[in-house]
Amino acid sequence: MTKRFGAVAAVDDVSFEVPRGAFATLLGPSGCGKTTTLRMIAGFYDPDIGNIVLSGKRINELPAHRRGTAMVFQDYALFPHMTVKDNVGYGLRVAGISGKERERRVEETLQFVGLGGLGGRWPNQLSGGQQQRVAVGRALVLRPEILLLDEPLSNLDAKLRVSLRWELRALQQQLRMTFVYVTHDQDEALSLSDWIAVMNAGKVEQAGTPWEIYYHPRTSFLADFVGAVNLVPGTVREVRGDEVVVAFGQRAVTVRRPAGLALDVGREVRLCVRPEALALRPPSADPEGIRLPGVVARRAFLGDLMRYWVTVDGREWIVDQPDPGAAADFDGPITVAVKPERIHVIAD
Amino acid sequence: MTSLRREPSLMLALAIVVGLVLAFIVYPQVNVVLTPGTSGYVEFLQGGTWLRPLQNSLTVTLLSTTTAVLLGFIYAYAMVYTDMPWKPFFRIVGILPLLSPPFVVAAAYILLFGAQGIVTYHIFGQSPNIRGLYGIWGVQTIAFFPFAYQLIADVLSRSDARLEQAARNLGAGPWHVFRSVTLPLTRPGLGAAILTTAIYVLEDFGNPALIGGIYTVLPTQAYGLISGFGELSAAAAVSTILLLLALVFYFAKLRLDGGRQYVTVSGRASSMPRPPVPAVVSWAAFAACSALALLIFLVFGTLLVSALTFAFPTNMRFTTEHFEYLGQHNLSLRNTLTFGLSAAAFSAVFAVLAAFLVERGRWRGRRVLDFLLIMPAAVPGLFFGLGYVVAFNQPWLDWLDRGALITIALIFWNIPVGYQAATAGLRQIDRSIDEAATSLGASGLRMFRDVLVPMLGGSLRVGFVTTFVRAVTTLSVVIFLFTAQSTTATITIFQLVSDFNWGGATAFTVVDIGMAVIVLLIIAFFSRGRIALGMARG
Amino acid sequence: MTPQLDRRTFLKGLGVVTVAAACGGAATAPTATPAASVAATATAIPKPTGTISVYSALNESTNNQFVAAFKAAVPGIDVALLPLAAAGELQTRIRAEKASPKADIFIGGDSSFHDGLGKEGLLEAYESPNASAVAAQSKDPKKNWTGFYFGIFGIALNDAVFTRKGLGAKPASWDDLLDPKYKGQLTIGSPITTGGGYIFIATQVFRFNKDETKAMDFMKKFHANIGSYNSQSPAAILSVSQGEFAATPNWAHDILTERKKNPQVELVVPKGTGFEIGAVSIIKGTKNLPAAKAFVDWVLTKPAGELNVQLSNRVSVRSDVPPAPGAPTLSSVEMVNYDRDWAAANKDRLLKLWQSTVGI
Repeated sequence: MTKRFGAVAAVDDVSFEVPRGAFATLLGPSGCGKTTTLRMIAGFYDPDIGNIVLSGKRINELPAHRRGTAMVFQDYALFPHMTVKDNVGYGLRVAGISGKERERRVEETLQFVGLGGLGGRWPNQLSGGQQQRVAVGRALVLRPEILLLDEPLSNLDAKLRVSLRWELRALQQQLRMTFVYVTHDQDEALSLSDWIAVMNAGKVEQAGTPWEIYYHPRTSFLADFVGAVNLVPGTVREVRGDEVVVAFGQRAVTVRRPAGLALDVGREVRLCVRPEALALRPPSADPEGIRLPGVVARRAFLGDLMRYWVTVDGREWIVDQPDPGAAADFDGPITVAVKPERIHVIAD
Repeated sequence: MTSLRREPSLMLALAIVVGLVLAFIVYPQVNVVLTPGTSGYVEFLQGGTWLRPLQNSLTVTLLSTTTAVLLGFIYAYAMVYTDMPWKPFFRIVGILPLLSPPFVVAAAYILLFGAQGIVTYHIFGQSPNIRGLYGIWGVQTIAFFPFAYQLIADVLSRSDARLEQAARNLGAGPWHVFRSVTLPLTRPGLGAAILTTAIYVLEDFGNPALIGGIYTVLPTQAYGLISGFGELSAAAAVSTILLLLALVFYFAKLRLDGGRQYVTVSGRASSMPRPPVPAVVSWAAFAACSALALLIFLVFGTLLVSALTFAFPTNMRFTTEHFEYLGQHNLSLRNTLTFGLSAAAFSAVFAVLAAFLVERGRWRGRRVLDFLLIMPAAVPGLFFGLGYVVAFNQPWLDWLDRGALITIALIFWNIPVGYQAATAGLRQIDRSIDEAATSLGASGLRMFRDVLVPMLGGSLRVGFVTTFVRAVTTLSVVIFLFTAQSTTATITIFQLVSDFNWGGATAFTVVDIGMAVIVLLIIAFFSRGRIALGMARG
Repeated sequence: MTPQLDRRTFLKGLGVVTVAAACGGAATAPTATPAASVAATATAIPKPTGTISVYSALNESTNNQFVAAFKAAVPGIDVALLPLAAAGELQTRIRAEKASPKADIFIGGDSSFHDGLGKEGLLEAYESPNASAVAAQSKDPKKNWTGFYFGIFGIALNDAVFTRKGLGAKPASWDDLLDPKYKGQLTIGSPITTGGGYIFIATQVFRFNKDETKAMDFMKKFHANIGSYNSQSPAAILSVSQGEFAATPNWAHDILTERKKNPQVELVVPKGTGFEIGAVSIIKGTKNLPAAKAFVDWVLTKPAGELNVQLSNRVSVRSDVPPAPGAPTLSSVEMVNYDRDWAAANKDRLLKLWQSTVGI
């Protein structure tokens, strides 16, 4: 799909397919077009070019209120003049479901989202987390084909965000409902999703499982956006079938060639290594794999790991050491060790 | 709102609204604008008699609008933000000045503040010349601040207290919060208030007619041309000048608005109370509002005394004979009530629907509709009614009851205020609320009815009250339309005044106002409990 | 009432006499001979009946009794009265309704309003047999309208104010009003927007035989004595009556009406004064011409004239009708040669001249 606002293409030739029952996430920085894409699915925008197909049916021409999608908003969008019960039951009311049936389903849903007994409250009497649950319940009670969520947890505090995250995932798996989730938070995306599409400037940079996105990013942007990363420039020296030899600095390393990536000798590439894939050893150690002597520039204690910035051949590498309580402290000259199979080649 | 072609019911609603606007706002006015004909316009413009009235009109509009909006703002702030006592009382008082049937109220001002005024002369020993620019300015400020008050109060009541609390939290003092948070957030309401007030001041005929003396403004010039000299063509030309001025004001307002976002009602509810206003401010507000209330009661009190004495102030003998006229003329009172209530109900609802279609819509040409819905404010009632006669007094329409036609005229003449209120209100409501309802399966109209209308209760009320009050006090709209069966209280008052029966006219005015006050009290009573939930409220 | 209305619907447009229905006490079958109080000459044509719609610029207190008298004098005709004591508005309304005229009769208001309609072809020309009692200059040569009363311009004074402010002798002529002792004590309707105010200026112009320099000189001195102008002529009388001002030039009949309520108000009619001719006319397109004609006929009779004088203090055009108490007689008033057409044609120019003279 393509969507233009004026001269700017907010969504530029984006194409993807979401399997039924999957928790799909659109991830990206602000302005990347993820919300626009979501709203096109919902029917609030029309794509200039492109089709939206739901369960085999093209829904471009359907008005937003008849698409079988329900949306959860970033600021909850609860109706202030209705109680929680009425908010949740609104969609049912519109669908013509009334009386006992509606009450039953509303009550059931309230229990399901953990708000049992709060049906009579007004939105302004609830906490942020509770309001978000109402918003989710309001959409779920309709049993939509797809649930669309637009950064639903952004307005909550950190701990709540994390705990609600698991609840949403649990809900989704329990109901086996298709979720399309928009966020800029890569932790959320990685932990919740079956499938992620990372967007940037209106385009999909890469789509795939969280594992793939994290360990085999296809672009530097992607590598950098999701998690911390070391990106070391290098040049292709040799191509040997499924492997390439890449020279960086004074060294060379033989790494796996990513499937589908054609590389010529002399091509400028980047070596992508995750900080947690690097190990620190004393300067005199001789570990497996590649040995990079360097000097600790600085370090930071991040609670669950100790992050080191190490200067190797004039370049700063980030190295994460897990469980600082059990590990040794390093300072001054050290050796950084990396196994070649943990190195990923990016050519962009 | 998605494109209209996907929602036939919405398209139908739009077609109906546009159709009604064309039939009952545009078509009658076109008739008036066309009346002079090219030669008529040329002749009139060359004559230059309109230059001084135009200058006067602009002067008066500038002055009166400024002070009326200022006063309205103070009043609105006092009502919504402070902890001033007696608020329900002041709520009514804030609407009373609109209740000014022709002639008698301005006569009361002269009685109180004129050269032989009870207050000015007998208490303070001054003999000011109240007629002229200063008299108009003073009376108009009082007469029109209710528009500004209602529009701004509506907007203020929906402002999010959390924003102000946040500012206080960051260390801003009350004045700073007011200046940098509260004031900018009232912009949609403020813009609407300024535009509405300015246009109504511009077209105001009643007040300058009574207290203007030799200071002629465009509406009084137009009226004089018809009433004094029978020059319809020239008068219609003046009306067109007024329309053009309104167009200018409208574009000025568009520039002022800047199209920014003023959303203060998102779906994120908050029960946070407003930060407290310093007590001294509350008391100052109370003093100001009380002074205003005193003035208004003085004026109405004068009317009451006038109605109960033989010939106030020269002959103070008590009598109730003036009220005998009510018996003969109760048809006009009943009509006034009927026309007023029907017009108010329809007008309020239509205004909100139209505001929804324009404000939330994304179809081409909605700016034109926006202007057309404000335009009636710029047309002096005289020409609005005249347009209806010319347009609808056709042989094939003779079956149409004049009473119905008068009601229709009253509806559309008063659309602008309710429409402005609803538009300002809608601008404060985040679209995500619309979208939430839509995503839950509600069609456009359904969403409008279930979700937006309940949240716009304040705007509905503004539309209803203003339409009602203006309907029961207008003379100029009905003067060309009324028949013996569909006569109104204002016509009766006019007749009595022309007969030099000041006592009878005053008595009738008192009853007219009294009737309207009772209706207002009933409305106020019923809307007391309707505090929009989820919004912090003062 | 109801039986008559039923009959009206049935007979509308026919103009044929029918026998009254059995029910209803008020309904009477029109007989061949009119009642004795009507002095009009009997006509041989069938008696008019039905309803006429009368747009009346006469005062409220005049209207009802006037119409009732007509119905008594000419039974069989019902009157739907639209009272609006503003001739300008009624004229505009008649103009606006021309596609489907709703009025049969336009009565009251200065003849210039009727004349305007006549010039636009909106009136039905009719010369009543009773018009012979009306002088030539009080009726339309084209017979579109007929005058039936005069409004004379005079001065309203407040005796109590004169005493309180020590103003001495009351004014007897227009020039007396120029006396500097009246500074700030006079008022008048705005000449820009009221007919009365403009008539005052035009009267002075005619009084000085169209010497506009002299007339403007008068107006300048007069302006110096004005406390403030009033936006409406009747309100000017009220402000004098309430003691705000000492005197105002205004309509004699209105002054006399106010005097009934407040005896402190006095009337003076100076020599060389202005006047208006109150007229009655038939609207073109009337659906009941015979009845309309009968109405006009009756209005021009002596009893009708007397009734009007009694109710409104105006002066009848008929010389055989005595004036109201305190009102001037036709013969005692010296009126200027008021050329209405000239006054209308030169209004804008005169007003501009006046405004620049007095500096407004």
